[in-house]
Amino acid sequence: MNSFITTTRRKLLVLAGGAAMATAVTLPAFAQEAYPSRPITFVCAFPAGSGADVLVRYFANAIQESSGHTIIVENKPGASGSISAEYVARSDPDGYTVYVHSGFSTAVNYSLWNTPAIDPRSDLMGVAGINEQPFYIVVGVDSEIQSIEQLNAYLLEAGDEATYGVSATSGRLLAAQYLSELGGTPVEVPYRTGMEMVPDVVNLGVDFAVTDPVTAMVQEREGRLRVLATGAGRRLDVAPEVPSLTEFGMDVDQMGVWAAYVPAGTPQDVVDTLAGMFQGVLETDDTQAYLRTMGGVPWIATPAEVDERMAQNVELGAYLVDLAELPKN
Amino acid sequence: MSDFVSNLSLGFSVAFSWQAMAYCFLGVSLGTFIGVLPGIGSLAAIAMLLPLTFGMEPTHALIMLAGIYYGSNYGGSTASILLNLPGTPSSAVTCIEGYPMSQQGRAGVALFMTAIASFVGSICGMLIMAIFSPPIAALAFSFSAPDFFSLMVLGMIAASTLASGSPIKGLAMIGLGLIMGMVGRDLYSGLLRFSYGVDELYEGLPLVAVALGIFGLPEVIKNAGQITGRTVKAKDISFRSMLPTRDDWRRSWGAMGRGTALGSFFGALPGTGGLLASFMSYATERRLSKEPWRFGKGAIEGIAGPEAANNAAVQTAFIPTLTLGIPGDIVMAIMLGALTIHGIQPGVSVINSHPDLFWGLLVSFLFGNMMLLVLNIPLIGLWVRMLSIPYWVLYPFIVAFICIGVYSVNSSVVDLYVLIFFGFLGVVMTTLKFEPAPLVLGLILGPMLEENMRRALTLSRGDYTVFFTRPISGMFMAMAALVLIWTIYGAIKARSVRRDHLREMARNLPDD
Repeated sequence: MNSFITTTRRKLLVLAGGAAMATAVTLPAFAQEAYPSRPITFVCAFPAGSGADVLVRYFANAIQESSGHTIIVENKPGASGSISAEYVARSDPDGYTVYVHSGFSTAVNYSLWNTPAIDPRSDLMGVAGINEQPFYIVVGVDSEIQSIEQLNAYLLEAGDEATYGVSATSGRLLAAQYLSELGGTPVEVPYRTGMEMVPDVVNLGVDFAVTDPVTAMVQEREGRLRVLATGAGRRLDVAPEVPSLTEFGMDVDQMGVWAAYVPAGTPQDVVDTLAGMFQGVLETDDTQAYLRTMGGVPWIATPAEVDERMAQNVELGAYLVDLAELPKN
Repeated sequence: MSDFVSNLSLGFSVAFSWQAMAYCFLGVSLGTFIGVLPGIGSLAAIAMLLPLTFGMEPTHALIMLAGIYYGSNYGGSTASILLNLPGTPSSAVTCIEGYPMSQQGRAGVALFMTAIASFVGSICGMLIMAIFSPPIAALAFSFSAPDFFSLMVLGMIAASTLASGSPIKGLAMIGLGLIMGMVGRDLYSGLLRFSYGVDELYEGLPLVAVALGIFGLPEVIKNAGQITGRTVKAKDISFRSMLPTRDDWRRSWGAMGRGTALGSFFGALPGTGGLLASFMSYATERRLSKEPWRFGKGAIEGIAGPEAANNAAVQTAFIPTLTLGIPGDIVMAIMLGALTIHGIQPGVSVINSHPDLFWGLLVSFLFGNMMLLVLNIPLIGLWVRMLSIPYWVLYPFIVAFICIGVYSVNSSVVDLYVLIFFGFLGVVMTTLKFEPAPLVLGLILGPMLEENMRRALTLSRGDYTVFFTRPISGMFMAMAALVLIWTIYGAIKARSVRRDHLREMARNLPDD
């Protein structure tokens, strides 16, 4: 039965192909339909309904609308993104499995495991940038500390009398580098999520905190937190009044980068088609406005630029994990 | 006050639309259906149906999902009473008194009282949500690590000292749950504990898989291969047989009131919820009772209290969820996910920037609970008939739905292995008469308990007195101590009362 179909199809190809068959090179391309011919899966490393999942679904919907192709979002949470990264890296490099995730987190993960499941530099290929979003240094709105200068002075004076909250690995890394540049020695208090940390920042249980952009922006708007500084190397237009630590002579430039990746070995024309889809959505005003509500700025980048950033971040991640003395699993 | 009235009228205008009503009805019917079927909880149902709401208005989506949640709490007790199988974890307590009542031929009364108590609890919970949401949002910000820790200690002591079995076994199960809660990444060091190289356990044991495994699978496994075993007949439950006696009413009102108060309180506190509230209420009724020996043999106040508590907690669980974005329990965690999917960032902004959603949802609770009253009293025969579906038809479906529900949360096969493991563990536990509820409570609270204790001690520089000197924390610790003392006192007293009772009976025996 199977061979019957195959022969028939081959016969048909021969019959109908005629002139096209003359150039043997086109045969594989001819047998294969144009990309994409079936639904594309976006893999999300966070559970359905989480803040990050919303971002992935936003792009899935927008690309589905603009390109007319069906996009499915598959949530594969676990091991802070390691499981989903490995899943994508081991998928067929055909452009039907796309990883939409924080490239910074993927890069840092490489240094957090004794035997990393993948090397993001060689196992993944960049497709398109999405946004850049740093973590922020915040204090409770009732705190006597009103600015980053005052915080710096306070931390130097208080020594290990001071305390600070952190959520997520990115928060730990930013805090570690900030404190090492400053020379402060406050005591670290970890929290599972930014939201879990908010009450202790508000009731001044901790002197300051390093938190994710969404929590920082939303809670500042609600009038509970004051944002003192960004972990990015420059002021961002999403919050132009928030200074960067570089303005105080500290060499801190940690920027979460969201981007789309495919397994290494994906054909270049497929990558380009996908990149075009992302770019088209990213350039719309709606998307740009949406990304700014997440406390970051849109990042328009070519596949090569995404790869380059990944390489830089793997190195930065290794340095920071060492600096923060995070153990490897 | 005028604010309150205008807010409520906004809520009515939203919830009175025919779409909102239709989704509400769909939600509560589905919830009752799922609640009645043992094994499938509201958790799995909501997780499975979440993707279907992506295309809906956020308010409608939330109204429907919430309907499934509180609807399942009505339905959950039906199976508890008739079959001694809790349809949902929080209706496990209802088995203790409900099943004996049904064996005494009073199933109708138990079902009727359950519906009434659920309604009373829900409506009071809803009113409390309407009145207290804005001020509670402000109060919760003064909660710090020691307060959370003490609150959880109180919860655990309360949950383990009440017993449908031995309190030692309850404590052992909480302990086991706490140990299992350690699996996964330690927040402080970042190192993995007890994961034995399985990366899928990085975030700890998957709660949905554990809960569905331990509450859902054992009944199926135990009954596999048995053909009969059903005793339920729909025609047994006539409306006349449902009417409680005057004595039943007298015993139930107070219990409902206390249950509602307990439920409203625990529902509103993050980390606790309906399960704990219903257990607390049961324990309270048993301690307060002048005839504690009636408990376990069909005491109606042991149904009315917990059912009111459970449903009040379900409503007030929305307070921290919608005002602070902090989920009251695991179902609320998924509910928050539903909000974010629809582009609504949880936080105080929900009340302020989406008043139509908050007040519309609130008013939909009123309509939903009225629909549930109709579904669960006049139409109870329908659901009871559903329970007479033979096992060999029902169980494969239940197993399939459980597996789909578990897999859909993380798309992880490892979760299915966890499900099977806990399914068989559940069989062993029920055979040895260990309660599964304290184990799951320990598993949920374990990581929070540990993290908050370490956090409190970090902030206080290792000073343990912080748990007693902070006013909120000290209050919870005092309450925990009271519960302990009360339990010990109650145990001693019950023993002497029972001894007198037995002596009395022995004396009345005719001597040959």
